[in-house]
Amino acid sequence: MTEPLNPAVGDKQPGLMSDLRELAQHAHLILSFARRDIRAKYKQTLFGVAWAVIQPLSLMVVFTFVFSMFAHVESDGLPYPIFAYSALVFWTFFSLCVSQGTVAMTANANLVRKIYFPRETLLLAVMISAFMDLLIAAVLLVGMFFYYRIGLSWAFLWVIPLLLLQAIFTLALIFLSSSLHVNFRDIGHGLPLLLQLWMFATPVAYPLASVPAWLLPVYMLNPMAGIIDGYRRVLLHGAHPDLNYLAFAFPIAIVGVSLAYLVFKRAERTFADVI
Amino acid sequence: MREIALKFNSVSKKYRLRYGWYRSIRDEIARIARGLLLKKPDEPNIFWALRDVSFEIMRGETIGLIGANGAGKSTILKILSRVTVPSSGSLSVNGKVGALIEVGAGFHPDLTGRENVYLNGAIMGMRKREIDEKFDQIVGFAEVENFIDTPLKFYSSGMMVRLGFAVAAHIEPEILLVDEVLAVGDTSFQAKCLNKIAELKEQDKTIILVSHAMPSILQHSSRVLWIDHGVVKGFGDPEETVEHYLRTVHEHDASAPEPDESPTSDSPLRILSVIVRNADGHANGSLTFGQLASFELAYKVRRIVDDPVVALTFHDVRGYPLGGLTSRLDGIKLDGSEGTGVVRLILSPVLFTRGTYGVTIAIHDSRIQRYLDMRPRAATFMVDGPSVASREVSGHFVFPHTWEVGPG
Repeated sequence: MTEPLNPAVGDKQPGLMSDLRELAQHAHLILSFARRDIRAKYKQTLFGVAWAVIQPLSLMVVFTFVFSMFAHVESDGLPYPIFAYSALVFWTFFSLCVSQGTVAMTANANLVRKIYFPRETLLLAVMISAFMDLLIAAVLLVGMFFYYRIGLSWAFLWVIPLLLLQAIFTLALIFLSSSLHVNFRDIGHGLPLLLQLWMFATPVAYPLASVPAWLLPVYMLNPMAGIIDGYRRVLLHGAHPDLNYLAFAFPIAIVGVSLAYLVFKRAERTFADVI
Repeated sequence: MREIALKFNSVSKKYRLRYGWYRSIRDEIARIARGLLLKKPDEPNIFWALRDVSFEIMRGETIGLIGANGAGKSTILKILSRVTVPSSGSLSVNGKVGALIEVGAGFHPDLTGRENVYLNGAIMGMRKREIDEKFDQIVGFAEVENFIDTPLKFYSSGMMVRLGFAVAAHIEPEILLVDEVLAVGDTSFQAKCLNKIAELKEQDKTIILVSHAMPSILQHSSRVLWIDHGVVKGFGDPEETVEHYLRTVHEHDASAPEPDESPTSDSPLRILSVIVRNADGHANGSLTFGQLASFELAYKVRRIVDDPVVALTFHDVRGYPLGGLTSRLDGIKLDGSEGTGVVRLILSPVLFTRGTYGVTIAIHDSRIQRYLDMRPRAATFMVDGPSVASREVSGHFVFPHTWEVGPG
């Protein structure tokens, strides 16, 4: 009775540091899940990885017809297809992460019910596999730069911090949405609709400049608005992103993701009971 | 002085029973609103899977965990393996826990055997380096060397089970949870599993074995923990605890109300009682190998039946039939005239090995076309005597035999 016992499950106080340490020990598991997801996604498909391009590409074609040719939407003086596609590849990354991340626990219910592992590994794996799709879709974007003879400036390196910001925001979102989805499957039903509406509340099909000034304070509350606009600035215009925006968004995203992680880890303990 | 491997400190676990599979936001809002309006929170149906469960297990012990379905065994395993947390109480675990629960739960059919070994190993908490080191052992244990780069969907189910167990058996935890794995796979694979468990025991690992197979429990456990309706009913000597458990199960079965709606309720013949007696004439359900036993069946005939046939089928604890005897084949005639009758089957001697068995009794019409009455698991009995579930042989009988050894 006098021997010290390692505190375990029941009386363990959750702590961000111990959670992160455990997560680091499971790096191999994240990669294994990601490999499984990527493998499974394109197995027995005719077009294979081309699907990663087909999704943003087909939206680009539709948008080009509807918004550019019929509705004559502005595109910052750039060819509309590349204007739309440069936003769509990143939006598709976001939308894939959210739609698959939200259902990641229920999609792996068999595992969650029976074996313990840090559940966030499933979410990170979803993000890695979606990132692979982004890389494949980006190949076409590079081709379009050549086709439209648009020069890239070194400003394109800003894509890296923008992607990082997007990833942090996405992760925070799916920490919360996946925890909720385990308990309330309503989330899963409403998600496709929400993502569609969200895309139109984000400057994907139209430029940020066409948003009326009076609406901007509300409009920019959507973190994806600043991020998507940022990609366009650095890729198509060779300009810096709005640094005020970034300086503001990063700390908020870091705090947000930490809080969301704590919520997720708290909810995680009973996933197996309700899933 | 041995150290404590794990300890449950008045652990309780409650589940909220829900109608349907999952909560919807609408139900939840309705519940909260009801709670606010009525000033008392609506206490929905609560199910206590575990209630105030406390026990201590020392390092190196092998604990058999027994209890009826739904008694709380799986909940204990789930809490131990961190799949879920207790609603109240606490536990301490000293060492890494590994679980042989649902071997191969993490398998993916599109990945090759090799990829699945890495995936499943990672899910069970192995580092990549550990898996690298043990990869050949795992594949060898599972005997799937030739198929290791084939997608899993082309594996036979036997190969899959073997591979799943092989991965799980190589995680080398300090505390191992084993849930009914002995019930899967063919005999040679079961033997392999048993060997692996024996090996782990020799390495002073702590093992918790959940099984409905009492012989396995008795063979391996140093102590037996009996859980019933979420509370600890007994914890101690394996033989005593298992016997107590089986007696309770048997009493419970006997006290169950007669199924009046059974198709045989208007049958001309009804079985009244089944009594198993040992050589001393006691009906306490315990027999001894090599001694007499009698199975006494009382029945009532309401309308005359021509030549009823009685059939007894013996089965092991899992319900697997071991063999049977029928009055027809032995040329015995039962009295089918109105009134009550008794028929007694005497085994002389009992040739079952040590273990727990059940007997199903049926009475047929003379042409074996329909049951007049039938009692599945009419009685359960335990046999004391030699155990053949050793490393060399397995089974449930010892045949009368002699050995002759000499120069060829």
